[in-house]
Amino acid sequence: MEILKVDSILKQFGTYRAVDNVSFSVEEGKIFGLLGPNGAGKTTTIRIITNIILPDNGEVYLFGEKMNSSLQDAIGYLPEERGLYKKYKVIEQLEYFGMLKGLTQRQANAQAKYWLNRVGADGWENKKIEELSKGMAQKVQFIITVMHNPKFIILDEPFSGFDPINTDLIKHIIMELKEQGTTFILSTHQMHQVEMLCDEILMINIGKVVLYGNLRDVKKNYGKNHLIIEFSGTGSFTNSIDKEKIIDISENRLEMKISSYSEAQAILRQAASENEITKFEIVEPSLNEIFIDVVQKSMEEYEKI
Amino acid sequence: MKFLLMLYKKVWKNMKKSNKMWTILQFEFLTRVKAKGFIISTILGPLFLIVIMVIPALIATTSISETSKQMAVLDDTGYIGKLLVDSDKSKFFLTNKTPQELKKEILNDKLDAYIHIPANVLETGKVEVYTPGGGGIGLLETVKNKLGDIILEKKLLDARADSSLVNFVKNGIDVSSIKVTEAGIEKDYTEFYSIFGYFLGFLIYGLMFSYGGIVMRGVIQEKANRIVEILNSSAKPMQIMMGKIFGIGAVGLFQLLIWGVIIIILSIAGSSLLPMFFPSSNPTEIINGATAMAQTKGSLPFDIPVIPISVWIGFVFFFFAGYFMYASLFAAIGSAVNQEEDAQQLQMPITMALIIPILFMPVIMGNPDSTLATILSLIPPFTPILMTARIAATTVASWQILLSVVLTLGTLLLSIWIAAKIYRIGILSYGKKPSFKDLIKWLKTSE
Repeated sequence: MEILKVDSILKQFGTYRAVDNVSFSVEEGKIFGLLGPNGAGKTTTIRIITNIILPDNGEVYLFGEKMNSSLQDAIGYLPEERGLYKKYKVIEQLEYFGMLKGLTQRQANAQAKYWLNRVGADGWENKKIEELSKGMAQKVQFIITVMHNPKFIILDEPFSGFDPINTDLIKHIIMELKEQGTTFILSTHQMHQVEMLCDEILMINIGKVVLYGNLRDVKKNYGKNHLIIEFSGTGSFTNSIDKEKIIDISENRLEMKISSYSEAQAILRQAASENEITKFEIVEPSLNEIFIDVVQKSMEEYEKI
Repeated sequence: MKFLLMLYKKVWKNMKKSNKMWTILQFEFLTRVKAKGFIISTILGPLFLIVIMVIPALIATTSISETSKQMAVLDDTGYIGKLLVDSDKSKFFLTNKTPQELKKEILNDKLDAYIHIPANVLETGKVEVYTPGGGGIGLLETVKNKLGDIILEKKLLDARADSSLVNFVKNGIDVSSIKVTEAGIEKDYTEFYSIFGYFLGFLIYGLMFSYGGIVMRGVIQEKANRIVEILNSSAKPMQIMMGKIFGIGAVGLFQLLIWGVIIIILSIAGSSLLPMFFPSSNPTEIINGATAMAQTKGSLPFDIPVIPISVWIGFVFFFFAGYFMYASLFAAIGSAVNQEEDAQQLQMPITMALIIPILFMPVIMGNPDSTLATILSLIPPFTPILMTARIAATTVASWQILLSVVLTLGTLLLSIWIAAKIYRIGILSYGKKPSFKDLIKWLKTSE
């Protein structure tokens, strides 16, 4: 089922188009990766989805309803720039932000205590934010995002500031909420996290969609697969390979780009005739590589115009 | 009946649930009232107000005729010098030295000044004061006042005036002010009411400035700490801004209530305690109307007239109207800047609008019914301070009060409307410090 539908939204600041005709939809219970370089228009897109700003053009539908302020309570939002009152106590802020999302004070208090316990922060209730470390404050911010049991959660760089142990903790909570049917938009520059967590991805650059689809399909169809061969023998077959395609070569290992499976098969045949093959593997490109490639291409196109 | 109760509960619950402004208001109020700053300002606020109001007044009335200098008196008459020394032994002393010796002492810094009273002073009315130069206006005033009184009394006595005439000339006349009302006449307390009006005007000024500033700093803090992103994803900008303004306004009202209760307790305690410090007055003293009335009432040496309820209503109304008018503009400025230092320039027009009525206050309190006073008090940005002061000091025509209420309410709605437009955009704009031009541009962008 479609939870969120973004229909050709456009936002212009002065002469600069921050978001230019972006459309996509997010399915229930999925984690949707929103990617793009700095200044691509991700934050503006998120602000439009969360009803913080209105688009100049286009519509946003959440749960089939046109976006409005009463739908805000159904969203949990972790902004990239974290914001907490430094001088106030943890419990005061959790209750306040919970109540702003429609909880009663009693509910907010109970949820705050439950989640503090969940993230290993028992006994922080009466601490002021300024007494906490950055990672600890991050946990409080995360609790604010999830404490009102939203069906739809937007996380902007949720792992920044966390050590590997806490990153795992947050990841576990995300996976658990996903199993319960919560839908996520995850925006991050940590591509390995996207590969591990996301079902679908949308990449934007200079306000425009440059890549959109199921993560597996994107990777499979990107046409930038790698071939890795490990061998023992003369290795003379490598001489006939286009130097531009070779990524890494050594005494008995070759890593290269291939454009098709048949090309890989041809290389295997040639190599096997004169060497002993110990490893033959076709690897999908990393998302990191795709990211850099797509961004560069879209930049070239942009400069042409 | 049961149905009504259920309906009420449902409506109340829904209102509480949906009204985010109420949540923001509550949070702002509770966190601020609990803070140390509130307790400190509740205690120090009145002291500060008294200091800035009373000290200039004290200085103005006393210091100009005061001097700390010591003066030698060289007397050729043989008796006036003695009377002068008797009038204030701490400042004057008789001397037998020659003018040459005295001048030398002045040059050697051994003497501040000396007065030469010539033998024919009663005819000429002229004396000379020798100083090393300067010494302040207070020195000359002191000599003039003291010696003037002595010579006047001496001349009157020489002219065979009786002692009651001498007393009369020295003390001047006493003007009592009587207010004509429909019920007849009653004692008027023009002086008291003027001072009280002055005080109320100052109080409103102080409250608007300090609470407006609190609103502005609160907005800047939320913007600088990026809390506003979370707030905006939970509530509408108008709800956030108004929740804050209402919440902080409630803190102000709460503080006024505390002061009010303290004043009531003190005055109840005072009316039973004061007579202990001021035992019944000296019977030989000339009793004027005021003290006579006070003595029949509760044997206080002075009396405080009743302040009409209309003054209190006016005060509370104009406090709130002024607070909303200025706090919303303070919020708009706070939303536009990234840090407190940047707010100074944008704040200038507001500061001016608050200070101008204070500058005019002495003139207006001197003649609260003048055309100048009427016009200034009807200009909406000045109304909260000046109209409150006028209502306390005099009887303001009801058309003026009505007009000022209408104008103030209109202006306050306008300033909230302007503020909401600027706030909505400003709160999400980071980067370079905006100018007035930018603010006007934001005002024009519709969303």
